[in-house]
Amino acid sequence: MSVEEWQIIGFTAWVAALSTIVILPFGLAAAWLLARHDFPGKTLFETIITLPLVMPPVATGLLLLTFLGNNGVGGFIHKFLGFRIIFTWRAVLVALAVMSFPLLVRSVRVAFEGVNPRLEQIARTLGAGNLRVFFTISVPLASRGIISGMLLAYARALGEFGATVMVAGNIPGKTTTISLAIFESVQDFQDTEAYRLLGVSVVLAFIAVWAGEWIIRRKKS
Amino acid sequence: MGVLLKNVSVPLAAFTLGVEVEIRGRVTVIFGPSGAGKTTLLDLVAGLRPAQSAFIQMDDQVLTDTARGVFVPPRNRGIGYVPQDLALFPHLSVRQNLLYGQKSGNGANPSLTLDRIVEVLEIQALVQRRVTDLSGGEKQRVAIARALLSSPRLLLLDEPLASLDVPLRARIIPYLARVRDEFRVPMLYVTHDRFEALALADEMVVLVGGKVAQSGPVNEVFNRPASPAVAGVLAVETVLNGHIEKIENGLAMVSVGSATLAAVDQNLPSGARDVYACIRAENVVVLKGGAVSNSARNHLAGTIRSLGNDGPLMRVELDCGFPLTALLTRQSCEEMKLAVDDRVTAQVKAQHVHLIGR
Repeated sequence: MSVEEWQIIGFTAWVAALSTIVILPFGLAAAWLLARHDFPGKTLFETIITLPLVMPPVATGLLLLTFLGNNGVGGFIHKFLGFRIIFTWRAVLVALAVMSFPLLVRSVRVAFEGVNPRLEQIARTLGAGNLRVFFTISVPLASRGIISGMLLAYARALGEFGATVMVAGNIPGKTTTISLAIFESVQDFQDTEAYRLLGVSVVLAFIAVWAGEWIIRRKKS
Repeated sequence: MGVLLKNVSVPLAAFTLGVEVEIRGRVTVIFGPSGAGKTTLLDLVAGLRPAQSAFIQMDDQVLTDTARGVFVPPRNRGIGYVPQDLALFPHLSVRQNLLYGQKSGNGANPSLTLDRIVEVLEIQALVQRRVTDLSGGEKQRVAIARALLSSPRLLLLDEPLASLDVPLRARIIPYLARVRDEFRVPMLYVTHDRFEALALADEMVVLVGGKVAQSGPVNEVFNRPASPAVAGVLAVETVLNGHIEKIENGLAMVSVGSATLAAVDQNLPSGARDVYACIRAENVVVLKGGAVSNSARNHLAGTIRSLGNDGPLMRVELDCGFPLTALLTRQSCEEMKLAVDDRVTAQVKAQHVHLIGR
């Protein structure tokens, strides 16, 4: 495999992992809100979170491009913080994060809903505050679902294409991910390269799913 | 210790829980049928459930006052709670469960130390185990120990023995009595088992359909149910429609079916003539082979309709012109060779016939 291919594989694995880590706290918070609280606008909140899952990824990418472009929040960030988002690795990160967020939230929400609320209530009567209850009761008891959710999010991020190509382009050495590279290779009739990268993505996905199952199995026993 | 509940109103599926009661006993039993609102009441005291309106005060501290927007969160109430499903944390060891709420050096009750609690409840051997490896009775004791270690001012127990079989219940009750006597933590104890109530409690609140139907010392409530509903909840076996024929020297003669019962006049509303006559099965004496003279005022000729086991006792259903239930020891039944259709005499003292105005 060429240096460029290794760079693409390393970049994709790294940025997908980073996006999973970045969305984790927000995903836990959103899932917790949806699982344990009723509030006005809950359905709207739920719908907005789920949108990237059901909208065409390219449409989500276009929305992000508009939002993060020079006439949107991106311009503001460039002016005051001095860096651009669109067509950089940061745009890849944002695209992967947005696209994988709903999968994380759905999985973690189900896990939180599966935790007996009585356990959390009794922890409160034992003197624990909300944060302590969350981190010592809810999260450990939902950990299998949280791990599954992270795994799904990571796998989704690894394979993201539509939103990424819209908001980050396909800039060799900067924003090219495995999916973009496979597409480009096929376009250029370089089938060998495409199949090599296909093999790599199968291996990466296999390792991610297998590792997740292994962790969940260990926790079960 | 005193817990005062006023203006409590919580809409539930079948009715609105509406409670006004002051709880003062060392161990107060909340007694009532399933779905009477007992658990909801405990949840309110613990602060785990919102109320439409409620004023709850413990000692001098107002815990909940919806009118003034006062709400002390559960973690600051100092109330230990052992729920029906025990809610032991399955991902933690027994030791971690016990220490979860441990308060050190608050001095409120210096006897509530880990070593002492573990000793009194005899759970020394369990401390290193996993919660999931405990038996039902062991889980009960660990849950009680965990609640005690948080140094509560009040302990709430929600049918703690309901999930255990009868022999195991009998083995756990002495532990609860030891907790009561050793640590002197006041308890609110929800049950619908009268043996538990009699074994542990000194005060009793009977909850029927979300309302306090009667409260007072346990013996008084059991012996003098205030209404047929309470008598039913307390499983007073015989509740009969009667009519007072006359009252002489404090003794009321009550016609019931074709028979007449003598009952001690128990401050019935003046002029009350239609009454319920309540007779507890354990207060009925059964004789075979003709009545002998003794102090009981009621001698009722009857026929045995059925015989059945009731725990260690035998439940004998009689027809004395009205249905009457007696609880006898198995030995008595065997010695008298009681059988269905035998002619017998049932004796009941006049003070054991409790009258409730209709």
